[in-house]
Amino acid sequence: MIALALGSLRRAIFAISVAAIFVLFVGPIVILGVTSLRPASGVFYIWRGTNFTLNNFVEVLHQSQMLEAVWNSFVLSTLATILSLGITELSRFGGWIQRSWFATIYLFRTVPYISWVLPLYLVNTRLGIYDTYLGLLLPHIAVHVCFFSWLMKGFFDGINPSMEYAALIDGCTRWGAFCRVALPAAMPGIAALAILCWLSTWNEFLFVLILSGKRTPLITSTMAQFVTETGTEWNLMSATAVLAMMPALLVTSFGQKYVIRGLQM
Amino acid sequence: MLFLIAPAGIVLACFEIIPILIGMNASFRDWSLVNPQRTWVGLKQYVAVFTDPVFLKIVLPNTFLLMVASVGVSLALGLALASLLNRSFLGRAVVRTIILLPLTIAPVITATMMRWSFNDQFGVITTFLSYVGAPDIAWLSDRWPSFALVIMTDIWIWTPWFTIILLAALQGLPPEPFEAARIDAATPWCIFRRLTLPMLRPVIIVCVLIRAIDAFRTFDQVWILTGGGPARSTEVFSVYTYVLAFVDLDIGRGAAAAGVGAIIMLFVGGVLYKLVNRSVEVSR
Repeated sequence: MIALALGSLRRAIFAISVAAIFVLFVGPIVILGVTSLRPASGVFYIWRGTNFTLNNFVEVLHQSQMLEAVWNSFVLSTLATILSLGITELSRFGGWIQRSWFATIYLFRTVPYISWVLPLYLVNTRLGIYDTYLGLLLPHIAVHVCFFSWLMKGFFDGINPSMEYAALIDGCTRWGAFCRVALPAAMPGIAALAILCWLSTWNEFLFVLILSGKRTPLITSTMAQFVTETGTEWNLMSATAVLAMMPALLVTSFGQKYVIRGLQM
Repeated sequence: MLFLIAPAGIVLACFEIIPILIGMNASFRDWSLVNPQRTWVGLKQYVAVFTDPVFLKIVLPNTFLLMVASVGVSLALGLALASLLNRSFLGRAVVRTIILLPLTIAPVITATMMRWSFNDQFGVITTFLSYVGAPDIAWLSDRWPSFALVIMTDIWIWTPWFTIILLAALQGLPPEPFEAARIDAATPWCIFRRLTLPMLRPVIIVCVLIRAIDAFRTFDQVWILTGGGPARSTEVFSVYTYVLAFVDLDIGRGAAAAGVGAIIMLFVGGVLYKLVNRSVEVSR
């Protein structure tokens, strides 16, 4: 009898803690969503229900450079992902070069972003690519390449080289063996990296704040404008935040398996 | 095979190595809005940073406090959540997906969310707290409450990361020692302390290493939540440097501050790296 009571107590505690996790992680997002659906006058009624509207979204999409920013962010993230994966792919060969390469990469991972994004601003203005997409894209690639070379090495090392040797014996070239054997085997890992890379570019803020200007509106800088200007138009800001969140949520929900995999690497 | 590494190497050189060299050069110069001459002044800027009371008394303690508190608490929470999710129950997949949410949302958005929820007058959480009868706290206008909010935001963002990684590590552990312990009638707490923790140690150490390095460069959350305020009391290293270089437009001093941060981090990173290598070897 007591054992039964203890068991159900334990089960209740378990259920409560799972529910608490749920609330803790979803709560703030729900608050944001609800705020984005309230008219400006209704934002401050927290507990009382007011009518919900989609006007905020309409207004945000009309008013600022919102659509442009979303499109720009999307293109930038996608390009950065494809290009840095392409480059990293190639950098998997080499002996002593590889070792010093990895030492360099670890070194650069420890350097805080602000320490090189500030001189990067000087470089970009000198090269005349400040406030252009090229000037945003190349530094992003530099960051991702650092990060990816490290992880890529991990999964290519995990592939049994005898498979590649078998392909070589069967008449593949070195390159052919790589493309036909090693690459497909590493594909799930690469997909995971691609998704993480895409998300991190989409969410990047410090780079955007420093390296982008009026001509290159991006989603995070558009967000930041709402935050610093008046700080009062909470409904519009929430709508922008929800819009900025959508693609990331879509990517995550479809690629959940890969996101988890990527985080574990 | 040198040419295959070349594209990555060139991008890295142009957009990381050369900028860092230029930054080092700038840090030895008096280069600001009021003095665009860029005269060479030697170590003056570094001395200025190191004698700046804001840097010594606020920025450095804040940065390390954020690092320790955020990494520590999110590790503890992540460990707890991972062991909770390690059992099978109905809806586990749903909970796991939901836990991923904070990681995929931009820190800018998270910070905005928190700022709104903790708004002094209309915030949902402030209202809720006063409803429950908690004392009124001016979340964004006092030093410690706002800094606590910054830390909480950071914890909210990073706990899932720990959870996911530790969960994977937990599921990868061999079942035999646990069965043996259960036969010996060990309590769950004892199993956790004597078996789970030591077996997870390498993973935990690597996680802490990665997160500690990342926590040092936290910028987005602090900038959006408090902007370093009230009265510069919640500035962390990145915000301090940003303000020097892009608000005060004192590029020379900013570059020197950035350099100081890089040096501190290289040192801390090196020590941590050694520590990780040693303890991972020991645990093998």
